[in-house]
Amino acid sequence: MGKVIVITSGKGGVGKTTTTANIGTGLAALGQKVCLVDTDIGLRNLDVVMGLENRIVYDLLHVVEGQCRLRQALIKDKQFGDRLVLLPAPQTREKDAVTPEQMKELMKELREEYDFVLLDSPAGIEHGFKNAVAGADHAIVVTTPEIAAVRDADRIIGLLEAAELYDPQLIINRVRPGMVRRGDMMSIGDIDDILAIEILGVVPDDQDIIVSTNRGEPVVTNPKSRAGQAYRNIARRLLGEEVPLMNLEERKVMHWFKRLLSGEAQ
Amino acid sequence: MNTQLCAIKGSRDGLVVTISDAARFAEVLTALEEQLIASESFFQGSTVKLLVRQGTLSPSQLDQIERIITRYGMNLDRQPPSWGLTAAAREAPVPAARSEVEHNTLLVKRTIRSGQRLHYDGNVVVMGDVNPGAEVVCTGDILVLGSLRGVAHAGAEGKTDAIVFAFRLEPTQLRIAHVISRAPDEKLPQPQGPEIARVVGDRIQLSVYNH
Ligand SMILES: Nc1ncnc2c1ncn2[C@@H]1O[C@H](COP(=O)(O)OP(=O)(O)OP(=O)(O)O)[C@@H](O)[C@H]1O
Ligand SMILES: [Mg+2]
Repeated sequence: MGKVIVITSGKGGVGKTTTTANIGTGLAALGQKVCLVDTDIGLRNLDVVMGLENRIVYDLLHVVEGQCRLRQALIKDKQFGDRLVLLPAPQTREKDAVTPEQMKELMKELREEYDFVLLDSPAGIEHGFKNAVAGADHAIVVTTPEIAAVRDADRIIGLLEAAELYDPQLIINRVRPGMVRRGDMMSIGDIDDILAIEILGVVPDDQDIIVSTNRGEPVVTNPKSRAGQAYRNIARRLLGEEVPLMNLEERKVMHWFKRLLSGEAQ
Repeated sequence: MNTQLCAIKGSRDGLVVTISDAARFAEVLTALEEQLIASESFFQGSTVKLLVRQGTLSPSQLDQIERIITRYGMNLDRQPPSWGLTAAAREAPVPAARSEVEHNTLLVKRTIRSGQRLHYDGNVVVMGDVNPGAEVVCTGDILVLGSLRGVAHAGAEGKTDAIVFAFRLEPTQLRIAHVISRAPDEKLPQPQGPEIARVVGDRIQLSVYNH
């Protein structure tokens, strides 16, 4: 039976969709069977990031309403075929067209078939969030190193606990080591100090992401990209491998990683 | 407020909504709403169980109760509480009766996160952090065995000798009784150890805690 993981954030635009696409593709590249589910009804874009927009016929809502079979709605990835599939979100319907109960049922079905089901959640704490967490058994919280984003991540962690999704893991996205060094950006230690949950990965701010998003090819498949490397590491960690957090840049950055690694007990 | 018909209680099995007589369902619903309004957002984010003393609820009645509970930010767990009927009668209601205010202390063994509010009649001890964006308000003292970075209001009903203590006292705002102080806009050096805040004159004063 597969794992159902929701990728969520609180604050919008911090990289949930990018993270979902890259972890999913990274896991498929490691031989896992993966299903990506876009739960951002009305604002879907996981299909665009995956470069699959032009193949959508049916979506999540058609499936839960029984207008098509699940298999018909799943779109096969260009590179990985039926090892990596996408269930797109309806673009034109009301946000509450899908209920948490329907999501639970759907997840039951998907986890039979796939090793990993990754749910891309919409920003915020409303109906869409409840749908996204309904059928999940694990959560990944994405934040950027900004005070507002960390604050909202904290709020989400509280709500995840209330939804009985304990021990979420954290991805810190768009880190700029130079700025951290100059004291212009929160360090990983600062963030860990407040959120105090396990850090699954740290992803640098990287222009390659924009290029690859526009091409519809997740950056994780680009062997030269630093963000790609960060996502490959995250995929391996999800499979239980011990991969040390990446040294984002020159030696000077090392000290805050050391602080992080030795600082479990703070 | 009709606390006989419907009461929300804290128990060792978590929060429990006790309904004494299912037959008076319409009254139960109003009583439940009243209780939830009175509790403000104290229970927000918690999961509650239902205990029906007399009679049974139909699935649609259960749905109605669940809708109300969800509206106030809680989740309903349809499993009945594990300790059953008899023990329920012994559990103390929350919030507690006025007369014992001074003696009540709530022990919270978790971090209070952004958006969560804790209101209590009595003292509060948090074994964890109070994060920025979180709020603890109580009529007695507040002790945080961790970092206090959110808002804390001790002695909320006018007890000016209430104190706030934290291993790391870096609140966004501190209030004791009617006195308010906020963090300075510029960054202060981090406190080196446990500190205690109390009202001196008409201001809140912080001092290093030494026993
Ligand atoms: N590590 C990164 N480096 C550079 N750009 C990034 C990085 N991560 C994300 N971005 C960019 O930030 C923007 C927002 O990312 P994304 O759409 O993944 O966020 P989101 O959390 O899904 O947003 P929403 O809340 O709107 O769903 C995109 O333009 C994306 O290309
Ligand atoms: Mg998105």
